[in-house]
Amino acid sequence: MAIPEEYKLKCDFTIPERYKHHALSNGKEPNIPASNIKTIPGDMTERGCAFAGNRGVIGGPIGDCLQVVHSPAGCVWYQWGTRRNLSAIYSWAGPGVLCNDSHNRRHAISTDLLEKDVVFGGMEKLEKACLEAWRLVPGAAGILIFTTCTSGLIGDDCHAVARRVEKEIGKPVFVFDAPGFCGVSQSIGHHHFNNQFYEQITEYREKHPEVCMKEEEKGPYDIAIVGDFNMDWDLAFIKPLFEKLGCRIILVFTGGEHFENLIKLPDVKLNVLHCQRSCTYISKLLSQGFDVPYVNVSLFGLEQTAEALREVAGFFGSEDMKQKAEQIIEQELKVVSPAIDFYREKLSGKRVGIYVGGPRVWHWQRVMQELGMKVVFGMCTFAHNDDYEKINARAEDGVFLVDAPNEFEIEECLERFKPDLFLTGLKEKYLCRKFGVPTVNSHSYEKGPYACFRGMVNFARDIYQGVYAPVWKFVRDNDFI
Amino acid sequence: MTTSLKLNGRLTIEELNALPEIPIEGITYDQMYIEKEPICPEYQAPDQDIIPLSNRSFVMDPGRICMPFGAMWAGVGVHKCIPFVQGAQGCTTYPRYTFCRIFREPVSIATASFHEETAVFGGRKNFIEGLRNLIIRYHPEVIAIVTVCSSEIIGDDMEGFLEEARDSLEEEFGPKIFDEVKFVIIHTPSFVGSHVEGYNRAAAAFLKTLAKRSTPNNKVNIIPGMITPGDIREIKHILKLMDIEGAILFDISGTLDCPLRLPQSMPYYPKGGTRVEEIVDMGSSLATFALCHDAGEAGATYLEKRFRVPAMIGPMPLGIRYTDSFIKNLSEITGKPITDEIKDERGILIDAMADTFHYTMGVRVAIYGDPDIAAAAARFSCELGMLPAIIGSGTESKQFVKDIWETAHEYDFEPVILNGSDMFEWEEHIKKNKIDLILGSSKAVNISKEANAPLVRIGFPIYDRVGYQRRAYVGYRGGEYLLDLIVNTLLESKFPDDRVHQ
Repeated sequence: MAIPEEYKLKCDFTIPERYKHHALSNGKEPNIPASNIKTIPGDMTERGCAFAGNRGVIGGPIGDCLQVVHSPAGCVWYQWGTRRNLSAIYSWAGPGVLCNDSHNRRHAISTDLLEKDVVFGGMEKLEKACLEAWRLVPGAAGILIFTTCTSGLIGDDCHAVARRVEKEIGKPVFVFDAPGFCGVSQSIGHHHFNNQFYEQITEYREKHPEVCMKEEEKGPYDIAIVGDFNMDWDLAFIKPLFEKLGCRIILVFTGGEHFENLIKLPDVKLNVLHCQRSCTYISKLLSQGFDVPYVNVSLFGLEQTAEALREVAGFFGSEDMKQKAEQIIEQELKVVSPAIDFYREKLSGKRVGIYVGGPRVWHWQRVMQELGMKVVFGMCTFAHNDDYEKINARAEDGVFLVDAPNEFEIEECLERFKPDLFLTGLKEKYLCRKFGVPTVNSHSYEKGPYACFRGMVNFARDIYQGVYAPVWKFVRDNDFI
Repeated sequence: MTTSLKLNGRLTIEELNALPEIPIEGITYDQMYIEKEPICPEYQAPDQDIIPLSNRSFVMDPGRICMPFGAMWAGVGVHKCIPFVQGAQGCTTYPRYTFCRIFREPVSIATASFHEETAVFGGRKNFIEGLRNLIIRYHPEVIAIVTVCSSEIIGDDMEGFLEEARDSLEEEFGPKIFDEVKFVIIHTPSFVGSHVEGYNRAAAAFLKTLAKRSTPNNKVNIIPGMITPGDIREIKHILKLMDIEGAILFDISGTLDCPLRLPQSMPYYPKGGTRVEEIVDMGSSLATFALCHDAGEAGATYLEKRFRVPAMIGPMPLGIRYTDSFIKNLSEITGKPITDEIKDERGILIDAMADTFHYTMGVRVAIYGDPDIAAAAARFSCELGMLPAIIGSGTESKQFVKDIWETAHEYDFEPVILNGSDMFEWEEHIKKNKIDLILGSSKAVNISKEANAPLVRIGFPIYDRVGYQRRAYVGYRGGEYLLDLIVNTLLESKFPDDRVHQ
C-alpha cells in the first residue's frame, strides 16, 4: 500500500522516488517498501559498500587466518579494529607476550596497490604479499584474500594466485571477491561471501577429505551457530544456552572461529541461523547441497530466546531436550527478571526508533515490547523483502518504515516522531544527539553483550542510561537566563 | 586463591552463566574472564629480512589512509560545503565513520553511489543526477567533488561531467543557481598518495577555483593542515594577541566541534567553517602560512605563483623553536610587534620546562604520525631533553627527513627514520630497542601495551579517548599542554609514588 499523504516526508518532495521506500507496518496485510534496489545518487545515503559486507561483517570475525586485502592501503585501514567482533584467538607480540587485541583485529594487511600496479596489474604483488605475510605472521591457519574496487577494476585473477599460494604454503587460501561498487549495498557483500565460501569449502573438502569430520566423530546433536559475529562477546551467552540444552556446538559462522572448524560446516546436524540477512544464503546452500537443515532464530529478548531453544529442541525431537529447554527458560527468566522488571518500569511508554542494517529491526521489535517501549519508526540500510515481512509480522501496526534511509529523512523522523531514544549506529549517533535524541550503538553495542536472557539486562541498562541521562534535561532547558 | 588471582575478580563464562541472579547493572564482557588462545604454541620471531617495508610487497598496519579522506576533511572545513564523492558508497561511509570516531560530530558527505553498471558505463549519469539531488535538498554553498580509485580508473571526465551538470542545472533552476553554489573538483586516486596529499590537493583546488586578486586586504591566510579544532582555535588566539586578521582555509573548528543548542537547522549544518568569500579574498592577502608542509604547501605555492602572495611553508608551530619561527614570520610579514602577552605565554611554557626537565631528560621516545606532526614532535622532544630514537611517518615526505636531520644535527643524535613506512616496521624497532615513551595515535595503543611503553596520544587519529579534538598542541600554550601530558604520563608509569611527593 502506498504511504498515506500525511506520512510523506517533506525532505523527499524533490526526490519523490523515495516514497516507495516508505511504508506503515501492518500485521495482517504486510506493507513491504521497495528494498534492495539502487540508491538514489546524492541522497545522502547511509549505505556502505560490498567490501564492508564481505570482509567487514563476515570475513573479518574469522579468528585465526591471515587476511590480505588486495587494495590501496586506505580500504584496509578503515576496517582495522573498528567493528567490535571479538575473538579469543591471539597472536604473539613477543616471547611469552600475547597481543593486546585478538588476531582478527590486531593487524591490517594490504597489498598497497600503487599507480604502477593499477597500470600493469597486481597479481604478482598479491602472490608475493601472501607468501611474505605468511612468513611474517606465523601460526595462521590459512589465508583469506579480499578484493576491492581497485583490484576488481584492474581485473586481477586472484583465484589463480590463491591456487599457487595454497600449493606453496600447504594451507587453504580462499578468495572473497566483492568489489565495493558491486550490488546496491553491503548486502551483496554478504551474499558473495556466502556463495564463495560455500564453493571453496566444498572444493577444498573434496580435495582434502581429511579436513572433514569423520563419521565416528559426529554426534547426534551437533549444531552450528550461523550468522553470529560475536559482537561484544554475545557468544558468551549464546553458546552455553545451547550447550545446556545438550547440543554440541561444532562451529560458529563466523564470530571468532577457527578456520579448521569453519570447514566442517557441512558436517553438522543443524544450522541455528541467527543473522537471517547475511547468512541465509549459505544455510540454504547447505540444506540443498549437504542436506543440513536450518532453523531461523532470534537470540535477542526473553520470549524470542525462549522460542529459539524450543525450536531447536523441537527439531531434535528428544523429550529430554524439550524438557531441558523448559527448565532452562524457567531458570533464566528467574535469573534476569528482577533486573528486567526494574527497567520495564522505568522504560514503559517510552518511544523508540530503530535503525540498524536490517535484521535487528525485526529482532528487536518484541524486545522493545518486552521493555514496555513503543517502536515509532524502523529503518533498515540493506534489508530485503523478507526482512520487511518479518518486521510487519512482529511490529505493532502503524510503525513507520523507511528503507535505505538518508540523513535528511532521519532528521525529519526524529522531529516528527519525537522518539525518547534511537537505536542506531555510530555515523548517525552524533547527528541524533545534536538534535537532542539519545542513541544506543546498535552495531557494536555500548557495553555488551546484548544477546539472550542475560545479555538483555545489558541492553536494557544501556537504553535506560540513554533515556535517563541528566544531560537531556539541559538540552531542552532553553530558559536558563 | 590462585584462581581468583588469575581471574582478577572476573567470572568465567561458566560461572557467569550459572549466576542465580543478574544484577541490575548487568554484566559486561570486561567483567568476564575469557581464556586467550594463542594462535600457535609459542612466539616465533618474524623473518628479519622482510621487516623493512622496502623489502616487502605489502603493508601491515598502514600509518596512512586514502587520498579522498584528506580532500573530504578539507571540504568539511568550509561553511555549508558538502563533499560529493564520485565513487562507491564505502568511499563515503568509511570516511564518515572515521570522522565520527575522531570528532564525535555528525559529518555530511554525499556519494554518487556507484553500482556495477557504473563501473561499466562510467559515472556520468550518477554524477549529474547526484549533484542535482544534493543541491535541491541541501542547498549547499560549495560542493567539493572528490574522485576516488574507481572513478579515476574508469576514467570519469569530471571536468566534462561538471559542464554537463551545469547545463542541466541551469535549465532546471535558471542561471541564478551558480550564484548560490560553487563547485570545486579534487582528483584523489588513492593509489597515488595518502590523506595528507589529498588535503594538499584540496588546498590547491579550492584556491585555484575560488581565489581572486582584488584590493589588498592586510590579512594572512592560514592553511592549518590536518590538525585539530583545538589547534586552529589556538592559532586564532595567537593572531588575536598580535592583532592580526587571519583567514583560515578549512576551518574545522567551526564545523567539527559544535555546540548542542536547540533548535538545529534542518538539514543540519554547523554554524562555522571557512566562508566562500574568505576563500575568494585569499588571493589578496599579505601572505599564506601553510603550517604543515605536506598538507597545504600546494595551496600556498599556488597563491604565490598566481597572485604573488608570499608563501610561508612549515614547520608546524609546535614546541619552542617552531612556534618562535611562526611568530617571528607573522610579525615580519605584518609588521605587527610580538606582544608581551605572547612573550608571557612563551615564558610560561619555558617555566614549565624548567620545572620538569629531570623527568624528561634522557627519556627515549618513539614517534609516529603524519610527516609534519612527527617532525615537530621530534623537535619538541629534543627541546625537553628527550631522545627521539625511532621516528616514523606513514606518508613519505622529503621535508620530513630534512626536518628530522636538522633537529638531529642540532641536538647531536642519530635517529632511526622510517619515511613512509608502516606501523609494523616501527613496532619491530620499538620492540628491539629500549623505549620509555611513545608519541603516536590511537593506532599505537596495542604496540604501547605490548612493548610496555606508555603512550601519549598525538596526531591522527585519536578516537579512543575523549577531548583531544578540543585541545591544542600548537603554539606555546599547546606546548604547555603537551608537556603536561608527557610528564604526567611518565610520572604515572615510570616513577614510584613517593618520589613525586615533593
